[in-house]
Amino acid sequence: MEEYYLICQDSLEGIFTGIYDAYLKKKPHEQIHIIVGEEDNYRLFAIYEECIPDGKKATSVARTILREFGEESYLSICRALASCEADKGEAIYKAIVTGFGMRDRHQLMGNLRNPAVHRVFELARFTANEAHYHIEFLRFRELENGILYAEIGPKNNVITFIVPHFAGRFPLENFVIYDEIRDIYAMHPTKGDWYLVHGEEGMNQVEHILSEREKKYSELFCQFFHTIAIKERKNYRLQRNMLPLRYREYMTEFQEK
Amino acid sequence: MESNLIISSTEQMSLMEKLKILSDSAKFDVSCSSSGVGRRGDGTGIGNTSAAGICHSFGADGRCISLLKVLFTNECVYDCKYCINRKSNDVPRASFTPDEICELTIQFYRRNYIEGLFLSSGILNNPSYTMELIYEAVYKLRTLYRFQGYIHVKAIPGAEPEIVQRLGMLADRMSVNLELPTAEGLQKLAPNKHRRNILAPMRQIQQGIIQNKNELVAFRHAPSFVPAGQSTQVIVGATPETDYHIMTVAESLYKKFALKRVYYSAFVNVNEDKELPALPGGPPLLREHRLYQADWLLRFYGFEADELLSESKPNFNILLDPKADWALRHLELFPVEINRADYQMILRVPGIGVKSAQRIVRARRNGRLNFDDLKKIGVTLKRALYFITCNGKMMYPTKLEEDYITRNLISNKEKLPFDRDGMTYRQLSLFDDEQEVIWQQAING
Repeated sequence: MEEYYLICQDSLEGIFTGIYDAYLKKKPHEQIHIIVGEEDNYRLFAIYEECIPDGKKATSVARTILREFGEESYLSICRALASCEADKGEAIYKAIVTGFGMRDRHQLMGNLRNPAVHRVFELARFTANEAHYHIEFLRFRELENGILYAEIGPKNNVITFIVPHFAGRFPLENFVIYDEIRDIYAMHPTKGDWYLVHGEEGMNQVEHILSEREKKYSELFCQFFHTIAIKERKNYRLQRNMLPLRYREYMTEFQEK
Repeated sequence: MESNLIISSTEQMSLMEKLKILSDSAKFDVSCSSSGVGRRGDGTGIGNTSAAGICHSFGADGRCISLLKVLFTNECVYDCKYCINRKSNDVPRASFTPDEICELTIQFYRRNYIEGLFLSSGILNNPSYTMELIYEAVYKLRTLYRFQGYIHVKAIPGAEPEIVQRLGMLADRMSVNLELPTAEGLQKLAPNKHRRNILAPMRQIQQGIIQNKNELVAFRHAPSFVPAGQSTQVIVGATPETDYHIMTVAESLYKKFALKRVYYSAFVNVNEDKELPALPGGPPLLREHRLYQADWLLRFYGFEADELLSESKPNFNILLDPKADWALRHLELFPVEINRADYQMILRVPGIGVKSAQRIVRARRNGRLNFDDLKKIGVTLKRALYFITCNGKMMYPTKLEEDYITRNLISNKEKLPFDRDGMTYRQLSLFDDEQEVIWQQAING
């Protein structure tokens, strides 16, 4: 029995192309697997194929998912795609296969007994939770030219899930959110639409000199942050459960003076 | 005399000093979530609101910091025995100007430090005068600064209904603190406050909300009145009421006044007044925790206060959470068959939360569930296993016997959100994911 391994680029386009190609093979789905990025453990007697990301194929898969499985499933799959876990491509592929076997396809994400669907559910939840943490804990600093600038270091690729929140909230602000792990800048011009810029290109557009009043307001907030806690109820363990340590290096109130 | 000097120097006081005094004075107010209304900005200003609320930080006490929680002034003509700002205390006094409040709110909000403003106040001159000051600040923030984020303000008992109405058109949430669960307690500890005066604005806000809903049906763009609803807080442990008494009061506030939330605040003895109980073990945090657990049972699990407690059993079990305690007194209803029982009954099983119950009902449409599936779904099996069957079988052979199960549940240590020294809640600790948030929005209507 031949096993096929499709090696896909780590992106929505890449993985959706992989799923399209997997269906093209017209072989039993158990024999086809999707790998994201580099494979470091090649098996004997297996066929490895590289998938070239293809916009048309990817769009077709995206449309099919949306039409057949509804918006909830589509959103979960998009979140799973942003995950940092290596098995995401395979989980999404097999969840889609499962979905086509279901009577009510819009109930795909409710089918938690199925291991692939459960895995997609887990990955999606991880991304959604991390995105929510960033909406809570991200901190802007005001630069000399009035731009608000924030740095983040997320495990999953959450930037596209958080920028719309801030764009809706600050329509008149120029703001920049920088994912330092992936070297991506999200740019939001006042009254305009936001967009992503990679690496150097973004770097040149952002200066890093803080505005004069930035110090004043960050100190005021630190004062507020410390005063508002009730000392009779001190509970650092609870604080750590609610606000994991890894977010604190980016947060104004936890930065060393 | 010294305190008078400080009052007169409040004009020259730095913003930093004011913020310190006026946030320190506000910290005991716990009804400060940012939930209840989802509203987009109109594109001409700054801010929007999220129905589930957003926490922006967690303080050293583990409590959520969501709003800039400050008093307008901590000067006060009242002399409530439990309050640090009472007239007879010699503490530094300060007042903000409306512009200072606006600037702080906007500048904190832009940096994503906060979700909005929580503005309360000590009573300066009289209740109506004080509410006018709050109104002035909030009006400026909404109009001049075009702030469209979350605003929570206090309605001060005894103020003119007209000003409550006017302020309600600008605020998202209003709250009137009940302070103490009974009128007698209030009379003893807050001689200037009267139960009747507290309930009057609560009723007014409730009716205002109902009337506004009708207007919104007729005119979609009618301005909204307190769209995130009203809340209140009760101090626990300063007066001798039982848990049963407190839960009955909370239940009637939910039913008769349509409150969104009742908050319970473990009493912290800041004044060491002889009328107040000494609390050598610190604030009654476990008791507060049990009340919150029971409060969730009322609001999301379909329980009634009378099912949980009674005159003859007026206080919660220290060792067991209220749901487990209830289940053990109703073993005749168990075990529950997971693949057949209705949603309401599944909700009542210890170890199964709202999220898990919803997932169970949904997942079992695709086939029968076993214990492994339940584990994946998020059921805490080591608590639930005594109360459920899957396909007619229990997980282990176990006795359906009160003493036996009680012993086992207690030996599995309950996860409490505090060690010996403190605790509190995240706004939506039960609702971590999307599904729940959507469901909660549905409930909140």
